[in-house]
Amino acid sequence: MLERARAPGTGYTKMKLFFRLFLALLISTSSVYAWSLFSGSEEGRYPGMGGDFTLQSAQGEISLKDFRGKVVLIYFGYTSCPDVCPTSLGALSAALKKLDSKEMQQIQPLFISVDPERDNVNKLQEYSRYFHPKMIGATSNLDYLQALASRYGAYFRKAEVENSSMGYAVDHSSTIFVVGKDGKLADMIQHSDSPKRILEHIRAVLGKNI
Amino acid sequence: MFKQLFPGLLLGLTLAMPAFAGTAADDIQVIDPWAREVPPGLTTSAGFLGMKNTGDKEHKLVAAESANTGMIELHTHINDNGVMRMRPVENIPVAPGSTATLQPGGLHLMLMMIKKPLKAGEKMAITLVFEDGSKKDIEAEVRHFSMENMKH
Ligand SMILES: [Cu+2]
Repeated sequence: MLERARAPGTGYTKMKLFFRLFLALLISTSSVYAWSLFSGSEEGRYPGMGGDFTLQSAQGEISLKDFRGKVVLIYFGYTSCPDVCPTSLGALSAALKKLDSKEMQQIQPLFISVDPERDNVNKLQEYSRYFHPKMIGATSNLDYLQALASRYGAYFRKAEVENSSMGYAVDHSSTIFVVGKDGKLADMIQHSDSPKRILEHIRAVLGKNI
Repeated sequence: MFKQLFPGLLLGLTLAMPAFAGTAADDIQVIDPWAREVPPGLTTSAGFLGMKNTGDKEHKLVAAESANTGMIELHTHINDNGVMRMRPVENIPVAPGSTATLQPGGLHLMLMMIKKPLKAGEKMAITLVFEDGSKKDIEAEVRHFSMENMKH
């Protein structure tokens, strides 16, 4: 009886606490947002998103930091993806072919596999090079990848599929993330199946970052 | 001599007959079938084509098979706010007079457990199976990704 009486009380204080926390969060995020609006720096475009990471590749560990001074083009996918990934990577490859060698020197394409269960680093290297000789293929463990993807605003989820010998599919967003020479997230290319669009976005970031 | 010719003649006749009987395989006209070249080390790819129904009733593609794959499934992509979810479909219907198109980002033949790597320029023999059990043999042209993006 006593316990039952206490329960709603704790629930109420908990709710109050949550409400206060929520308010505090709201104020802090909005002030960060306001600050970014007034500061006028590139930081304003995607506040709090992106950032450094370290992954495993066939060449050993690679970090985003290694590519400061270059524009890094990141695509999250998996090699047994038969359609969406090759379409996007093929379009990216076609766009990169349009860049001159001086522009290409400032570019680092990176394919991040979100399916480490099926994709090892050697397979990733072969796959990435098939699309572009400069493209690096890398991965990590699922927890790390999940956190990394959400920091960049990418989405992926392993989905069990019935009536299929696939076993599972990986539902994923198909976006090319463009990281500027300063290591900050500079652009997202949503419709990643058009080489022309991709090229325009890459050139815009290259131009800003000279 | 005649004994050898006769079965051939009979076979020729039975093959020619369905042209008037209106099976799904006769009604469906296949447009530009192609398959994507497989990156090294992989055994999964996708096949695409258009299916024009020249008949007067609906037809359905229910399966596809190829000696060069362990399995072909009929798949689609659901674009859920930018998240691509690939899922099997039971069949692909084609209304009379219309064309169903299997193309990148949407419906496709999911080519699985590919035995011999698909190389650009080669042809891949695929058999389409329709709702009435009729079959159609097609030759899909294998294309490198650089051959796909020319239209953009
Ligand atoms: Cu599929």
